Order: sequence, then structure tokens, then C-alpha cells
Amino acid sequence: MNPMVMFAEYSAVGIAAGGIYALIALGTVVIFKSSQTFNFAMGEMMMLSAYFFYTAAVTFALGPILGMAAALLASVAMVLVIERLALRPMMGRPFIATVMVTFGIGSIIRGLVGMVWGPSDLQIPAILARSPVIVGGLFIPGKTARAFAIAVAIVGALIAFLRYSRAGIALRAAAADQITAYSMGIDVRRVVAFSWIIAAITGCISGVLMANVNSLTPSLGLVALNVLAVIILGGMNSIGGVLVAGLLIGWLEAVTGWMLGTEFREITPYVLALLILLIRPAGLFGSTEVERI
Amino acid sequence: MAASLEIKDLAVVYQGVIQALSSLSLRVPEGGIVALLGANGAGKSTTLKAISGFLPLQDGRITRGTITIGGEDIGSLAPHVIVRRGIFHVREGRHVFGEMTVEENLIAATFAQRKSRPRKAAFDEVYGYFPILSERRAQRAGYLSGGEQQMLAIGRALVADPEMILLDEPSLGLAPLIVRDIFRIVARINREKKVSILLVEQNAVIALKYASYGYVIENGRTVLEGSAADLSANEDIRKFYLGVDH
Repeated sequence: MNPMVMFAEYSAVGIAAGGIYALIALGTVVIFKSSQTFNFAMGEMMMLSAYFFYTAAVTFALGPILGMAAALLASVAMVLVIERLALRPMMGRPFIATVMVTFGIGSIIRGLVGMVWGPSDLQIPAILARSPVIVGGLFIPGKTARAFAIAVAIVGALIAFLRYSRAGIALRAAAADQITAYSMGIDVRRVVAFSWIIAAITGCISGVLMANVNSLTPSLGLVALNVLAVIILGGMNSIGGVLVAGLLIGWLEAVTGWMLGTEFREITPYVLALLILLIRPAGLFGSTEVERI
Repeated sequence: MAASLEIKDLAVVYQGVIQALSSLSLRVPEGGIVALLGANGAGKSTTLKAISGFLPLQDGRITRGTITIGGEDIGSLAPHVIVRRGIFHVREGRHVFGEMTVEENLIAATFAQRKSRPRKAAFDEVYGYFPILSERRAQRAGYLSGGEQQMLAIGRALVADPEMILLDEPSLGLAPLIVRDIFRIVARINREKKVSILLVEQNAVIALKYASYGYVIENGRTVLEGSAADLSANEDIRKFYLGVDH
């Protein structure tokens, strides 16, 4: 096959895979913006959400649509409990302490999932059709392409919501300046809880999509490590930045995997993140934080 | 509609050890403009933060005394609750949301409303007092001039339709003519909307020109009080705060 066509095809597949990275990263960035908390449990949260979906759709035989609704509800309930019991008491504590709490939550979720659902692969009902999608003469695997379309739709809806709704304005106000947000009657604690709900929803959708594209195992959450590179690249507080970075890293993974071999594919995001940190520590689009007293 | 504010023997400590206020008392009558004067670090801003409930957000604590508005003790309420009781704090340094447009800044302030009123009526009132904000409504607040940002900060208070505005250093870093314009509008707001104003100001000349009553605080305690006319005539005030050397 013509190398140019191969390149274009791998690029298209990579960018399509990057859509999910962007969706996962978005949840993390929204939490970071509202509360300066970096949620290392994001991968585990989405993994657990995918198990919620499995349990509702398969074990309780609710089918994919009701199963998805149940999984979303369970995910939101889960993060509200986590936020209220584990993170709200940490408000105002040093950054590293809060980060360690999220690490701990991630470990607990991984352990619990292993205990409850076991370590082996589970097959979840296919919600994405398998037939390949052809865009401009390029073949893209059906699941990847459809997962990308869903991710783009969710990301677009979320950005519009943050931009135009009153709740979105409250979230941006609290992200910009907590004390001033309080001074205009915005209950910042509720805004933080709200940002965790957004992360629960994006995490649940991306978890189910990932489980569809790959399969459902307790290590599903490991993809969040790649997303860490996305966030470093895009800038922790930049929503637009992580979207671009998500697609970029998806593309780079696919292209290096093709040109250099799959063993290089794994390290690509981290090498790129390392380079970015050396050159632009705030990320490509992030702004440097100014500490005020 | 306005309410009176009364602070009695207030003491405030930051980080458990730094005594910012030791014995502060003051009263803002319904519909009045009261000035709070004092040197840097005397405790003026701390007093405003104690009223609006900001202290816990900055590791500060009220250790003694009471703050009451219309007879109700508000010393232990959360800041977003206090503002909905009708006390709006316009922070020192303006603190507009620079990444958001002028109008989005005003929308953010709607969370402070005690009872919701039509957005258009509230914003038209703001644009009536500050026509320049109407021209700039779709611009990012970060691109406004310092004076316009101060107007926006006061405009956000108007959206909330408060009983009292705590105004911290509105003249900071602004040209004298702009300061005069802003004070004239503040005086109009006070008169027309019967909003009481507690004003913290380094510029004692202009503060005493618009206030009816004033307090001088030093080292966290009230050391002098009187009508604006009396304070303006006081020898110590003239020397230390008005820069008049006999």
C-alpha cells in the first residue's frame, strides 16, 4: 500500500482514538480548575463506571440504554460520596496531601473491583457497531470511529454548557477566584461537587466506550496514565489545550506505533510530555498560576 | 431598604497567632456612608472581611466580639450566605473575572440576589449608572481600564440589590478625575437606592468628603470617631491622614 495512504489511515485512527483521551482529560481539568485538586483516581473512576454498566446491563439484564442510565447514576452517586467524605475535608490543605488522597481512592477502587468482579476480562454488550467507517477513502475501525463521534459530541456539549449556562459561569468564576466567587453568593463547595459530577459523567461515558473498544478488565483505568501526559501537554487549566493535546497524542501514538514499532507507542506520550515540561512547564496552552494572598 | 450594621469589641486573629484586630467597634446607620480610616495594616480590610465572612477562607478567626446586621448576629455565617442577607463586599483590587466578559461578570453576581429579579432590569440599572459598561458588555473584563474595572466591581454589587456595600479602596491606582466620578456615582447609589456604605479608603480627603461619619483605627482598635466635618477639622487627622502640615 502507498505509504502516504498508510500514514493518512494511521493518522485518522490515532486522532479518533485521541477523542477519548480528550474526554477523560476534560473531566480531570474541570476538577482541577474548580478546586486545584489533581484527581489521580480518574482512571479507576472510569473503570468502576464501566463495571457499573456491566452489572446493570448484563447481570441485571437491563440492556444497554437503561444500563447506561443506571451506570451514570451510580457513578454520580459514587463521586458525590467520595467528594463529600474524602476531598471536602481536605479543602485548604496542601496540594500534595489532596493528590495523595486521590491516589489512595484509586487504589481502593482497584482492589474493590478485583474482589467483586474478579481479574478476568468481561464482555460488555456492544453499544458500538463494528462495521468500518470510511472517511475520504480512509478506513477507520467502526468502534473507534463511533467512540470518537460520541466523545466529540459530549465534549462539544460540555464546552457549550460551561460557556453559556449560569452554572458554567459559576464554575468559571470559582475557578478564577474563589474568594470573589464567594463574595457574589456562589457556594464554591457546591461548585466543586458539581465539577466532580461532570467528571463522573465524562468518566462513565469514556469508561464504557473504552470497554467497548478494548475489553473490560480492572486495568482499564491504566489509560488514565496516558491521559496524564495529555494534561501535561495541554496545560492543567486549559480545556481547549487538553482537547488539542488529546488528539495530538492519539495521533502520535498511532503514527509512532506504525513507524517505529508498538514498543515505542507506549512511551511516546511520556517522551512528549517530558519535552514539553522542559520547554513550557505550564503546558502548551496552560497559564502560569500566580499565588495571591 | 437598608439595615444598620453594628460591630462591638471585635478581635480577629490570623493563623492562630497574628492579632489583626484587638478591639474594634463601629456602627453604620441605615442609609449612611461611613468611612473607615487608618494606616496600612491598621485592620481596615480585616474589618470588612470579618463582616463579609471571608476570614475562614484566609485562615483568620473572630476570637471576641459581635457583628450584627439589623439585630441578627452574622459572625458565624458563610460568605455566600452573608451576601444574600444583603451585604455585598466589593474587594480591594477590584477582582473582576478577567477571562469573562463584562456581562458574564454581572451574571456571576446574580447568585448574590436575595430574591431573583429579571436579569434585564438588574443589568439595565447597572448600565444606567455606568453607561461605559454597556458599551463594553461583550468585552473581556481583563481588557477594561482600571476605572472601568472598578465600575464593574461596583456594578456587580448593584446586580445583587444589596442593603449595604462594603467598599474597599475604590480609588486604588486610579487617576483623580476617575476617582471623583466613581465617588459621585457611589453617592448617587447611596442616595437613590438607600444603600448604606462602609468605605475603606487610603485617600482620606475624598473619603471624608462623601462620608457623613468616620472612624479612625490604629493597631486593630478604634481610636477616634466623629462626623466627617469634625474629623476633617481634627488636628491629628489633618496631620496624619490629610497631609496638611498646619
